[in-house]
Amino acid sequence: MSYTFTILSPTDTPLFTHSFGTSRSGGDGIPRFTSSERALIPFILHSALDIVEDVQWGPSTSAGSAPMYLKHIDKYQNNFISCWITGGNVRFLLLTRPRDEALGLGPSSSGQKGSLAGGRAGLQSSSGMLYSPTNAATEEAVKNFFQDVYESWLKTIMNPFFNVGKGDVVKSPVFRARVAAAAKKYL
Amino acid sequence: MATGGADPTGSGQQASTPGLRYPSNKKTIYDRNLNRSKNAELSRAAFAYLFVEMISYAQRNVRDIAALEKRLNEQGYPLGLRLLDLLLSRSSNPLASIRPTRIHTLIQWVAQTLWRHLFGRPADALERSATDATQYMLYDNDPMVSTYISLPREMRGLNCAAFVAGIVEGVCDGAGFATEGVTAHSVGDQGSQEGDAAGAAPKKEMWPDKTVFLIKFKQEVLEREEILAKGAG
Repeated sequence: MSYTFTILSPTDTPLFTHSFGTSRSGGDGIPRFTSSERALIPFILHSALDIVEDVQWGPSTSAGSAPMYLKHIDKYQNNFISCWITGGNVRFLLLTRPRDEALGLGPSSSGQKGSLAGGRAGLQSSSGMLYSPTNAATEEAVKNFFQDVYESWLKTIMNPFFNVGKGDVVKSPVFRARVAAAAKKYL
Repeated sequence: MATGGADPTGSGQQASTPGLRYPSNKKTIYDRNLNRSKNAELSRAAFAYLFVEMISYAQRNVRDIAALEKRLNEQGYPLGLRLLDLLLSRSSNPLASIRPTRIHTLIQWVAQTLWRHLFGRPADALERSATDATQYMLYDNDPMVSTYISLPREMRGLNCAAFVAGIVEGVCDGAGFATEGVTAHSVGDQGSQEGDAAGAAPKKEMWPDKTVFLIKFKQEVLEREEILAKGAG
């Protein structure tokens, strides 16, 4: 499973991007996008922003507030996109590209099962379990990941030298290390 | 490459991340607890001293009162953007991570949560303008920022709560509710005219610094609100 995580400012400028692979079920944490997929990722993420804007204000029956975690919002070919939107309208987008076997595409040998984001052993025991972005375990894992990143993001914007809302790019290697740690822990 | 929170005097230099300078206590901003200052309060004297300096900084080469208020507003604006996320994350249930999506919720949040955080009490009144649907009025009877400020005669139009107005504007803009601007006005002057007419002069004495924050949302925010209210349901 390969992931790309991007933070987009309220004016759609990418502020931070990090690609990584799964560390669950023996994964080595290295993303395995093909070069053509890699080239498509920015386009897929930006097109998902339209969906974010559709759903971010919640249903008409909403009591006036909505959760920051918007869950799985978009799919393009084999890429699944989850979103977290902060109070300040900064979008965190996570693109998930499961392995072909996990989607039931490739020749699935009996020993290989799709690695599930945050998959528990019990969930993976049923052979032929396919990746589903709306799976409760997947949603929970992505949520935990976003929550950790959100905390780091808050600390970033609390920095008085960081120009919030003006498209300042996050350059801190400590922030990147924090994101990588959250990814390793939950995805 | 200067990095967040790095103290320029820091001596620590790590080999793994060249160029990153750590503060002398080896703690970056990412190692600090966000809720450390949750219940901490700043002394009023310290605030007043700083605020006076901020005003005199804004006053340098300023043309008129409107320009001065605009500069104070700009000083508050980035604070609003930050406080919005910080206070949302400190809400009673941090795991729920709720954000306001309607004007009413947002304004209530400003009057309650934000005001409590800044001044230790909620705002005194909140009204929607009867004549202009895009305008909301937030009243503070005794704004803390004006407590130690006495205006010279030639600057009577100035209200230093423009700084607080900037914070409110930052919150509204940040949350996706674009404003035409948030301005602070003293109600005392109007009150004295009306008071003289009605003969109710003591009323004005009660809150001499009473300030109204005029929040004027952009038309498109109102339109969005209408569409959302109809919605699919």
